[in-house]
Amino acid sequence: MDDTLAALRLTGLRKHFGRPAVDGLDLTVRRGEFYALLGPNGAGKTTTLRLVTGLLAPDAGSIEVLGIDLASAPAAAKAKMAYLPDEPMLYGKLKQFEYLEFVAGLWGVRAEEAEPRARELLDWLGLSPHAHELTEGFSRGMKQKLALAGALIHAPELLILDEPLTGLDAAAARQVKDLLLTHVAKGGTVILTTHILEVAERLAQRIGIISAGRLTAEGTLDELRARTQGGSLEDVFLQLTATP
Amino acid sequence: MRLAPGSVSWLLRHELRLAWYNAAGGKDAGGKRGMGRLALGLMLAGWAVLHLAAWVVVDKLAGTPGDDPRILLAITALLAVATTFMLSSAIKSSVLVMFERSDLDLLLSSPLPSHSILAVRLAGVSAGTAALYLGLLAPFAHAGLLQGQWRWLGIYPAVISVAVLCSCCAMLLTLGLVRVLGARRTRVVAQVIGALAGALLVIGSQLQALLPRESQGRVRETIVRAMQQVEAPDNPLWIPARALLGDLGPILSLAVVAVLVFMLTARGTHRFFARGLQLAASVAPAPVARAGVQRHRFGRSLFAAVVVKEWRLIVRDPQLLSQVLLQLLFLLPLFFVIFKRADIQVQAIGAGMAVLCSSLTGALAWIALSAEDAPDLLRVAPASQGLLRRAKLAAAVIPVLALVALPLLWLIGRAPVAGLVACLVVCGAVVGAGLIVFWCGRPGVRSNFKGRGKGGFVMNMLELSNSLSWGALGWFLLAATIAPLSGMAMVAVLAGAVFAIATPGAAWLLRQKLA
Repeated sequence: MDDTLAALRLTGLRKHFGRPAVDGLDLTVRRGEFYALLGPNGAGKTTTLRLVTGLLAPDAGSIEVLGIDLASAPAAAKAKMAYLPDEPMLYGKLKQFEYLEFVAGLWGVRAEEAEPRARELLDWLGLSPHAHELTEGFSRGMKQKLALAGALIHAPELLILDEPLTGLDAAAARQVKDLLLTHVAKGGTVILTTHILEVAERLAQRIGIISAGRLTAEGTLDELRARTQGGSLEDVFLQLTATP
Repeated sequence: MRLAPGSVSWLLRHELRLAWYNAAGGKDAGGKRGMGRLALGLMLAGWAVLHLAAWVVVDKLAGTPGDDPRILLAITALLAVATTFMLSSAIKSSVLVMFERSDLDLLLSSPLPSHSILAVRLAGVSAGTAALYLGLLAPFAHAGLLQGQWRWLGIYPAVISVAVLCSCCAMLLTLGLVRVLGARRTRVVAQVIGALAGALLVIGSQLQALLPRESQGRVRETIVRAMQQVEAPDNPLWIPARALLGDLGPILSLAVVAVLVFMLTARGTHRFFARGLQLAASVAPAPVARAGVQRHRFGRSLFAAVVVKEWRLIVRDPQLLSQVLLQLLFLLPLFFVIFKRADIQVQAIGAGMAVLCSSLTGALAWIALSAEDAPDLLRVAPASQGLLRRAKLAAAVIPVLALVALPLLWLIGRAPVAGLVACLVVCGAVVGAGLIVFWCGRPGVRSNFKGRGKGGFVMNMLELSNSLSWGALGWFLLAATIAPLSGMAMVAVLAGAVFAIATPGAAWLLRQKLA
C-alpha cells in the first residue's frame, strides 16, 4: 500500500513483559478506515494500542502514524491522534468545559476553534445540561462520553479507542457509535478494540484478529468468513482464536 | 491453628494480615516495596538503642517509690500528652475505617454479624493507636523484666487500655459526626478535630503565654492549687500513672474500664456503624455553585492550562486541602509568640517560615507532580513532558510564595536587611522542597496523601534535610543581622549552607534511582 494512504503502519512490533505481549506484529490501517482489532483476553490488543500512543516503548519494530515515525517525532505523531482508554482519563474535580479547556491546552488548539467544537460535542453527546457539575458525579456513560469529547476536541485524524462501549447503556452506546461513524464519514480513521463482536460486525470496514501478540487474520467480515467455515463473526472469531 | 470461619478471631487474623502486608510487604503505586530493608534495619537499630537507654533509666530508678507525687505528676503529664496524640491518631484511623476501606462492602454484604465487624475494626484501630507508644515504651518494660523489676510490665496493659479508650472515643465521635453533619462533612471535620486534638497541649501551652503577665500568674496559682488538692496517692486522677508504674489495682481498674467501654461501643453502636457506612457510601458529590454565566478560557498557553488545572483540583478538594493546611496548625503557636512580643524575633520568623514553606511546598508538589489523576492523558498529549512538569512545579510553588509574601513584605518594612535575608531563605527552602519532589517523587494517588511519607525513606530524609538546613541557615543569618556571629555560629551557617545546597544536589543525583 502507498505510504500516504496508511493511517497506521506497524512493522515487526515487539513488547515483552516477562513473556511476549506483542510478538512481531505487522499491521496497516488505511486512512479513512474503521478498523476493529479483536482478540481473546491477554492477546495483546491493549498493549498494541499503548505502544501506538507512546504510553509504552517497543522492544523492537517501528510505528508510523500518518507517515510520521513515532520514535523520531513523537510530538508530531501524537498531535494527529487521540486515545480513549477503557477507563476514561478524567479529573473528578473539574467541570466538563474546564476539562475540555485543559485538553485543548495540551493539544494547543486555538480558542476560536476549541470553544465552538467543545459546545458542539457536548451538545451532540447530550452533556450540556450538566455543564455546572463536577465530573466526579457523572455516571460511567457520561464520563466515557466526556472523555470522547476530549479525544475529539483537537479534531484528530486517527482516533484510537480501547473498549469504548464497555459499561455504556444502549442510548449512550448508540451516541458513541454514531459519533465514530461521523468521524469516519468526515475522512477520519478509527481503530477500536472491543469484546462486543456485534459492534465490530456492524461498524468496522476491516477486522484484525490478534492472538498471542500476532495478527492471525485480517480482512472484511466476508473475507474472514471465506477463510473459515462461515457463520457469524462470533463463529469466525472462535475458529480463528481457538487454541490447538 | 484453624480458626472458625466468620468468627471474631478469624476476622481479627484477616485484619492483622492486611495490616502486616500494608506496613511491611505492601507495594506503593510505583510498585516498590512499602518499607525498604534499609528503613526496617534502621528502625530495629533504633529500637535496640532505645533498649539500652531504657536499661540505664530503669536501673537508675530502681528503688524509687511509685507513689511519689512528683513522679505521678510527671507520668500523668506524659500520659496526657500521649493521650491527645493517641486520640488524634485514633480519629484519623476511624475516618479511614469509615470512608476509605473498600473491603467493608465485602464484609457487610456477607452474613457476618455487624457487631463482629465493628469489634474487629475497633480492635484494629486500637492496635494501630497503641503500636507507636508501645514501640517507644516497651523497651522500659523489657529492661524492667530483665532487671527483675516487674512493675515496669505495667506499661503494656496501661498503654493498651488507654489506646482502647481513645479508639472508642474516636469511633463514637466519628459516628456522632456522621449523624450530625452527614458523611461528606465528617471526613473534613474529623480530620480537623484529629489534628486539633494532637496539637491541643502545644497550642494550650502557648495560649497561656499569650495572656497578660498578671493573668499568667493567676493561671499558675490556680494550677498549683488544683495540684495540691489531688496530691493524695489514692486520687483517681493518678490511676493511669499508677497503672503504668505497675500498681496491680489501678492496672485492673483501667483494664476493666477499657474492656467494658470497648464491649459497649462494639455492641451498642454496631447498627449505627453499619448505617454510618451506608451514609458514607451514598455520599453525593459536593454541589458546585451555579454561575450566572459560564465563562471559559480556551486558548490558554500549555503552561497556564496546567497551572490552572492543578489549582482547581486542589481548591475543590476540601479533604485534601484540609490535610495540607493542617500542617500549618502545628506552627501557629510559634507565630503567636513571635508576633506578640514587642521586640520581633526575626531569627524565629525566618526559620519558622523556611520550615513551614518547605513542608507546604513538599506537600503541594507531591499532589501536583506525583499524584496526577490522569497521567496517561498527559503522556499521550503532543506536549513537552518537561514543560508539563515545570508547570506543575510552578503550580506548587506559586501559592506558597503568595502566602508568605505579605509577612515577608511586613518584615522588609520593619527590618529591611533581615526581611531580604528571610526572603532569600524562604525562596531557597521552597525551591529546594519543590525540586526534591520534582526529581525524586514517586507516583501516588491523591486519596493517599497521608501515606505519601511511605513513598520512600530517602526522599523523606531529603525533604527533612531541606527543611532543617534552610531553617537553621535562616536562624543564624537573621541573627547575624542583629549582632555579630560567634565562631560556632559561623560554622553553623556554613554547615547549613552546605546542606541546603547539597540536599537538592543529592536529589538530582538520585533522581533516576528514586523516581
